[in-house]
Amino acid sequence: MTIANWARYGLAATLATAAGGVLIYRRKPGINHDAAPARSARHRRRFGDYRVTGATVTIRATPEQIRACWQGNAQLWSALEYLPFPEGNQPDLLLPPSELRDMASRPLLTRIVAEREDELIAWRSEGEGHADMHGRLRFRDNGSKGTAVEVIMAVRPQHFASAWKTEAMMAEALKLGLLRDLRRMKMLIETGEIATARMRPDAA
Amino acid sequence: MRAATFQGKGDIDVRQMPDPAIVNPRDCIIEVTSTAICGSDLHLYDGVIPGVAKDDILGHEFMGRVVATGKESTLEVGQRVVVPFTIFCGQCFHCSEQRYSNCDNSCPVEDQEVAEKAFGHPMAGMFGYSHLTGGFAGGQAEYVRIPYSDVVPLVVPEDIPDERLLFLSDILPTGWMAALNAEIAPGDTIAVWGCGPVGLFAILSAFQQKAGRVIAIDGVKGRLDMAEQLGAEPVNFHETDILDALKQMTGGVGPDAVIDAVGMEAHGFAIDNIADRIKQTVGIGQDRAHVLRQAIMACRKGGRVSVPGVYGGKADLFPLGALMQKGLQLRTGQTHVRRFTAELLDLIERDVIDPSFLISHRLPLDEAATGYRNFRDHQDEWIKVVMHP
Repeated sequence: MTIANWARYGLAATLATAAGGVLIYRRKPGINHDAAPARSARHRRRFGDYRVTGATVTIRATPEQIRACWQGNAQLWSALEYLPFPEGNQPDLLLPPSELRDMASRPLLTRIVAEREDELIAWRSEGEGHADMHGRLRFRDNGSKGTAVEVIMAVRPQHFASAWKTEAMMAEALKLGLLRDLRRMKMLIETGEIATARMRPDAA
Repeated sequence: MRAATFQGKGDIDVRQMPDPAIVNPRDCIIEVTSTAICGSDLHLYDGVIPGVAKDDILGHEFMGRVVATGKESTLEVGQRVVVPFTIFCGQCFHCSEQRYSNCDNSCPVEDQEVAEKAFGHPMAGMFGYSHLTGGFAGGQAEYVRIPYSDVVPLVVPEDIPDERLLFLSDILPTGWMAALNAEIAPGDTIAVWGCGPVGLFAILSAFQQKAGRVIAIDGVKGRLDMAEQLGAEPVNFHETDILDALKQMTGGVGPDAVIDAVGMEAHGFAIDNIADRIKQTVGIGQDRAHVLRQAIMACRKGGRVSVPGVYGGKADLFPLGALMQKGLQLRTGQTHVRRFTAELLDLIERDVIDPSFLISHRLPLDEAATGYRNFRDHQDEWIKVVMHP
């Protein structure tokens, strides 16, 4: 191998290392309870270092009824994929459903950080997961159609998971999963059951 | 149980499938006594509707007797019911306005995303159709699970035979809604494209709704003969230029309202239809929209365009300019079946209408494959196939 080739490969390796370093290095977020991006970011794909996503449905029920279902319906909890739900014993803690736990790669402690009756509940994750997450459930009157329920979640993957593609995949999975969760909640509240085409209870 | 299942394009097979059971509290199970093959089943058979899987149980026109009920069903075992093809919850915003085929809740969430990508919003669930509409098992079977059985099925009297009631499940309300969407004023002239079952019921409904004249357009003589027996003026598109004929028949004005009862599989050798067929065959287009284009061109200025025919994708060469410049109103949609069933049952009970005139063939369920093949390939004779499991 000639000296010119060594130089070429060396330059390529240096550039690749630098690019990788930029991708890998991300400033570790300090947790600021008042700056939870999901509380202020709406209709934006990004908020600082966070990727923001969410879903909205309108449910023919009052905010109290919707909240009661979210807080107390075990059938809903077992159907949820991404939307955290209240932990029975500790009023300020939420339990992440399985898909959200998988996304964070470990149990994710989620704490309520703001609450306005019939209007808004905001939460954030705590501890060392692979993703830092903030979320918000908001209720708005939608006239004769019912109550618009909007969930916004902001996710910031940490460490090696912070590559843009991983972040985008996380956001896409969250968006789809949150919409499914809200629709299941809507079905349960409006019809008393979650629609299924299964022919038998034991069928896949 | 035995059921007619989709095995691939042009391949229907009656197979042994698991019996359905109660899954949700509002469910019931019915034993099917009569079921029919619908023109839109042929869209599945021909492979032009996406989201149909191997072993899917077909059939969305059926009736039967209740054999089991969930704890929140209001039906009783033994009751005789006709089941609308659109599944609806009865409680969402759309159901509250009787737009049952727009129900928010009846399609399982896992099946909503493809339809949402294709149409902007998910659809309601339907029996025996595509997974875009939930993938619910259909009624060409011995038993069917009926969700939301407290609101969906229509309980019917014991003294009227199945064959007079069966079409309340789809094609009779579909023809009725097509005529309602045409907003017929007394004495209006209505043109109906397609003299299949829905087209024939649209003609029947148009006269019931006080149309003065109905012009029936098709290319199959046997079907045009049936339209003529209903009082329509037949026009064969193989023998004449439709736009010229309609202008001539209406004194140059055009029909007051037009009804496209054909949908995505238009026949004929018009250039746009040949192009559509090529696109459909190679998979870059889904709808052969020749009839809709022609209906819009034919309709009088300020007229109404009603589209009960099924479309599933996108159509180019769509005469948007004619629609706008002539100030036409376009109304369409899957049928909100249950909104019309009480009124139509009353007409049947009073012998004002007898929908059974449509039935040309009766088969056992085991001969479903024959029924599908002949219904598609011999339209002159095979007008409507009813099967008895």
